Amino acid sequence: MAQEEKPDILVYDLGGCEGCPLSILRVYPQLSRIANVYSRCLGPVDLNREYDYAVITGPICLNSVEHVENLKKIRKKSKIVIAYGSCASVGGIILYARGGQEPRPEHRIYAPISRVVKVDYSIPGCPPAPQMLISLINCIKRGKGYFLDLFRAVSYFPKLSGFDLMDEVVLNGLCVGCGACILSCPTNALQMIENRPDLIPEKCIRCGTCTVRCPRFSQLLIRRSKLFEKSRLLTSFER
Amino acid sequence: MAGVQPIVLDVEHPIGTYVNIYEARALDPRIASMRRKGGAVTAILLYLLEKGIIDSVIVARKKKGLKGEAFLAKTPEEVLQAAGSKWSIVPYTLGLKEKLLSPDVRKTAFVGLPCQAQFLRQMKMFPLMESDFSRKIYLIISLFCMGTFAVESFLNYMHRSYRLQPEDIVNIEVVKDKLLIIHRSGELEIDISEALPYLQHGCLTCPDYTGVFADISAGRSPESDYTVLITRNKLADKIVKDAAGEGYIELHEASVKTMDAILEKGREKVFRSYKYLSAVL
Repeated sequence: MAQEEKPDILVYDLGGCEGCPLSILRVYPQLSRIANVYSRCLGPVDLNREYDYAVITGPICLNSVEHVENLKKIRKKSKIVIAYGSCASVGGIILYARGGQEPRPEHRIYAPISRVVKVDYSIPGCPPAPQMLISLINCIKRGKGYFLDLFRAVSYFPKLSGFDLMDEVVLNGLCVGCGACILSCPTNALQMIENRPDLIPEKCIRCGTCTVRCPRFSQLLIRRSKLFEKSRLLTSFER
Repeated sequence: MAGVQPIVLDVEHPIGTYVNIYEARALDPRIASMRRKGGAVTAILLYLLEKGIIDSVIVARKKKGLKGEAFLAKTPEEVLQAAGSKWSIVPYTLGLKEKLLSPDVRKTAFVGLPCQAQFLRQMKMFPLMESDFSRKIYLIISLFCMGTFAVESFLNYMHRSYRLQPEDIVNIEVVKDKLLIIHRSGELEIDISEALPYLQHGCLTCPDYTGVFADISAGRSPESDYTVLITRNKLADKIVKDAAGEGYIELHEASVKTMDAILEKGREKVFRSYKYLSAVL
């Protein structure tokens, strides 16, 4: 079999706490075995050329024209855009920002990138563990699978958090008490009370991990995303 | 290790992708003496433990009445003790992480329901957190599941209709389409349709009958007294064959009739989930 050509991956950071870039940094050795990696950590990055994958970390600051334009440019030039980490995919803790962050201290409107451009796959997690990116890219190459559907579904939902988990699953009576969410919460915001999870609102950083891990909510997300795709509401809406 | 085949679950693949479907029965006299049918899962666990392939098993065991708890079994005796159906979902949260992170656990097998298998598989394939602890889980075994009971309301129903005190109920078994309730002063047979309204609502929206996310799915054969084993990757297939080679289980490929029956049940659950999910979309 002929040697498969490596895809080009752009890793681009829009700002934030640097947790996600750091998580990706740790996986560079393995990543460069399956792809050509382009990132500011490895030299200057050219946004005017085409890439197979664009992995974007950090939230988009809606006040910053430069960042929004760069993001749109990346979207146009890349075949597959992956929102990596909670801020880029579902908002995360930065939704609470009241200034003081990059790019400029007075900026305070941050949004997940799927509010600005069409995203193909969204990975929540604060930050996702390094191995995640390799698994995802291998899965995308394979072309189908339950989890691929799930991460594609998340890209349609720019807002997922423990609050949604409570509203859609627990308070809706769908929870069976398996405990997946509690084992997923990075801040211990969820606790088991009488066999059902309960949320401590102050502790929830809106990372969305619990919603993706919940067997019920992931079902719901996939089914809803299929409906969205069918209704073509999203495909006709040029973002 | 999750297999080269992608994990799928839809109407066309109601039991997911698999390598082989077997029917198996435990040959071990320790299991036969427990008057349980099949018993292949217990036998495979004993094989893995006694050959030193794994050092512990996470299973559910009965705590009190119908309530269960997650339990880390380290010896064959403890595994035998935990064998048998549990009738409430076991919240594996309580202590699972601590148990897995303890240094004397290196390689463990997990036995659970499809929803728990899904969660652990996701943790293994797509770790969303640095603190994920699935590294030590060597094998995930999922049991066939048509849904779990909302235990409290079911017990309440039993009390109202049959004057059975919850603490008197020793065990519940499924015999064909009847529920056999064994209590302190005898046995009671009720139709399974009587119990269906007491399934947990979340289970009605779950499409996964066999546990497509597990390495091995296991459940009672609808056609015979054997246990059906579905192996979903090469590692799992090798384990099952080796267990048969070592004389722990008796193994043959599943008949078309059995496979049809399982496919039918799987499809039934997928359609049921579509129906109920559409109510909450």
